Amino acid sequence: MNYGFHVWAHLKKDLRLEWRSRDSINGMLFFSLLIVVVFSLAFDPTAVESRHISGGIVWVALLFAATTALNQSWTRELKNHVLEAQRMSPAPPSALFLGKALSNFVFVTLVELVLAPLFIVFYNLHALGQARLLWVVMPLGTWALVCNGTFFAALGLRTRNRELLLPLILFPVSIPALLGMIEATTGILAGEFDPGLWIRLLIAYNLAFTTACLLLFETALSTE
Amino acid sequence: MKLSWLFGPTMAQRHLLFAYLVVWGIQGGYAAWVAWQWWRTKPQGQ
Amino acid sequence: MDRSRLLKSVAVAWFLLTLGAIVYATRLALVDAPTDALQGNIFRIFFYHVPHSMLSLVWPYVNLAASAGFLFWRRRDPLRALTADAVAIASAEVTLVYATICLATGMLWGRVEWGIWWTWDYRLTSMLVLWLLFVSYLMLRALSSTGQTKTLAAVLSIFAGIDVPIVYMSIRWWRTQHPGPVFFSSDPDAGVDKSYYPAWIANIVAWAMWGLLLMAMRYALERRRQQREQDAALKAIEDSLEFTR
Repeated sequence: MNYGFHVWAHLKKDLRLEWRSRDSINGMLFFSLLIVVVFSLAFDPTAVESRHISGGIVWVALLFAATTALNQSWTRELKNHVLEAQRMSPAPPSALFLGKALSNFVFVTLVELVLAPLFIVFYNLHALGQARLLWVVMPLGTWALVCNGTFFAALGLRTRNRELLLPLILFPVSIPALLGMIEATTGILAGEFDPGLWIRLLIAYNLAFTTACLLLFETALSTE
Repeated sequence: MKLSWLFGPTMAQRHLLFAYLVVWGIQGGYAAWVAWQWWRTKPQGQ
Repeated sequence: MDRSRLLKSVAVAWFLLTLGAIVYATRLALVDAPTDALQGNIFRIFFYHVPHSMLSLVWPYVNLAASAGFLFWRRRDPLRALTADAVAIASAEVTLVYATICLATGMLWGRVEWGIWWTWDYRLTSMLVLWLLFVSYLMLRALSSTGQTKTLAAVLSIFAGIDVPIVYMSIRWWRTQHPGPVFFSSDPDAGVDKSYYPAWIANIVAWAMWGLLLMAMRYALERRRQQREQDAALKAIEDSLEFTR
């Protein structure tokens, strides 16, 4: 019964629960699509401009979409006093967090995989820089959002106005990561500067905050 | 201590005055609020 | 009761000293400091703006230390933890006050000197993010359910503390990559004329004293509120026990 076993157990549970109804994924997908459409109405970019702004648009869309799904990933733990049972079990609490964060990561990545071709179509995108680096940037950025997002969603679990609170506390802390993912994506798409600095920032951010989340989760879970 | 140069129509004069007033307003306002709340909250023993 | 009388006299003395320091520093700023050759009198905003900016970068560390202390003492020494929490909320609110003043005075200056209210230069943007972080801290305190507030806020404070250096670096790099106007052409930190020193230093000292006074006041208020909460909780327990004396 090592740590990895617990993480895998939690991950399987969340993946299975979500796959049965697929509410979250469908909601996220449609929401991000709507945001993309609204931004096109707002900015109506030419092909040249779109390379500069689509990095920002895709991450804003994913940020809002992920936020809608994150709260809901914890509310299923409140039913049937599941969370109390988790607290009383000898399994390490951070495994619960990691399993849930990983499952949220899987779902947001699925949304991205569907969204990316749509983006390329809507904005007539083709990357002028090293497109291969996108395979690095997208997971790094997604993890930055999902890791802190899952943690802060757990913080707000017994709060009134839970849906309101998550973006209020998540967005300020995520600003450096957002800057990193948007700049890296723009650098790759527009090919005008080297995204390396931003990728390193994302890696450092992820290391720092994943550690903080894992260490502090037990504290957050055991309040009151 | 002549401060008449502070009052005048130019933007520089207006903004300098505003800036000082804003600082006193915010600092004083916050201090006043804290003091008021402290006075309103009955001490131990109700 | 001697301790409380002593504290009261110290508080009043500090208050009067601080007011005196502020009046003196303001006089230096408005009257004694020479008018800037390039900018004219609008430069005098800096005598308030810069001390507030510097101090608004100090109080967050008080908040971080207090929050870490709260988490450490939460189970080991609950009474000390309550003290730490009172310091945490006091320093958070004072940070917000100082950051707000920094932004407001900066904008008033910028409009005159640069013709723009705002620009996304690295200093302003970093200060704005600091401001946002502390607003989010206060929102969490306001919206969370009572038993959890202190712990959740302390956790958020740790996250914010880790974030602040990352924010600063990332925004600096962003601005190196996409240069924009630098808000302070006459960089106040480098090579300031000696004749300005008295006004600078007096204002830094005065506003630091004032900040400590504010924190002490807010701390006292929070302690009273904590006491009232505890009294109410105790009363609820006693009522439920149905004592017969």
